[in-house]
Amino acid sequence: MPDIAFHADPAIKVDAQARLRGHIDAKRFIFYPAWEDGAANVIGAIIQSGDQQAYADHLGYPIALVTALDSIVNAYSTTPLAAEYAQSWLDRTPVGADLSDIVSQAIIFLLERPELVAHARGHAGIETARQAILALHRRALQGDAPERKAWKVVRLAAVTASDQAKDPLVRCAGTVVEAAAWPGTMRTVLHDVLGASGRLELKQLMQEIGWTDEEESQVFHIREQAEIDGRMAELSGLDRVLGLLDADNPQLAGRFRQRLDQFEKLGHVYRSAGAEILDLFSRAPVPVASR
Amino acid sequence: MKNANEHDFEEVVMKNEKPVLVDFWAPWCAPCKALAPTLEELAREYADEIDVVKVDIDENPALASRFGVRGIPMLMIVHNGEEKGRTAGTISRSRLDAFVDAHVDDN
Repeated sequence: MPDIAFHADPAIKVDAQARLRGHIDAKRFIFYPAWEDGAANVIGAIIQSGDQQAYADHLGYPIALVTALDSIVNAYSTTPLAAEYAQSWLDRTPVGADLSDIVSQAIIFLLERPELVAHARGHAGIETARQAILALHRRALQGDAPERKAWKVVRLAAVTASDQAKDPLVRCAGTVVEAAAWPGTMRTVLHDVLGASGRLELKQLMQEIGWTDEEESQVFHIREQAEIDGRMAELSGLDRVLGLLDADNPQLAGRFRQRLDQFEKLGHVYRSAGAEILDLFSRAPVPVASR
Repeated sequence: MKNANEHDFEEVVMKNEKPVLVDFWAPWCAPCKALAPTLEELAREYADEIDVVKVDIDENPALASRFGVRGIPMLMIVHNGEEKGRTAGTISRSRLDAFVDAHVDDN
């Protein structure tokens, strides 16, 4: 069964847009949870719960797309930006568009990102698996759905190659590739590929400033000790961590601030995938019967 | 997916003709909850080849002790009454698939 946007009924789209708009205008649009006391995220605003399957069924989006939706929206740093994306998601989906191919198309986009390709090419097995998985998704888009066995073979090859890679970034790229070795109909495939891509992005950002696991561990222990002895309890959250570091280890405090700056850049991969999905919506075919 | 307890574990798991993926979990364990949809998918996909059985370690401490469960989630594959492999902690869908294949195809 194809996934037809809004079941080709303009009234369903109008209703969804109105529900979302209502939450945004009332300042009841939130990142998390999906639904609480009338406040809602991108899913809850439509169906008053976090039930992704219900959202997919109600609006006609593929479930594998919906399972990735809140992680894309949450990659925006402020609520207004997140709300703007949530509105674009509905606005740019044509009523009656066949969305069945969008997940595989989005995965192809993620597998072809230069940031991934550069690291995947660091290990011949990972690059071979990446190419093979791309080929399977392209076959599926041409209507020649690969058999379960074909996906399984490339998936196991990708896992084996990732385990062999010694460079952490290359290994991380391998986990992106292995996560993509599923048909676009698999419920969490896009969510999983985005998650692995996000971890690669994080590792790369941390490597750019040479932030180490040891430094992460040092910060954790200083914070943990303060929880026990109650130091600087007058401060909270990040302010407390920075206060403790400034007092105990000024050099580490400076490094930690660098790390925080890098964290601000996180989410680019989610946002770029989100933008790509909006473009794919605009280009999705609308069957003649739906016009 | 089925549930097993200390009374029916022998029948449901150890004497099962099919390989069994046992999920040791507890209601308070957030990673266990996060893993649950992945296991449900796997149970559907492998329905002809394996059974997936959940064991609540709070309700069945003797089973946790018997199999030396030190952390959850812990997944264990049993076939013909023998443990074939185990993995602890959260695991991606692709890695879970590879884990099952590695221990089921060999039997």
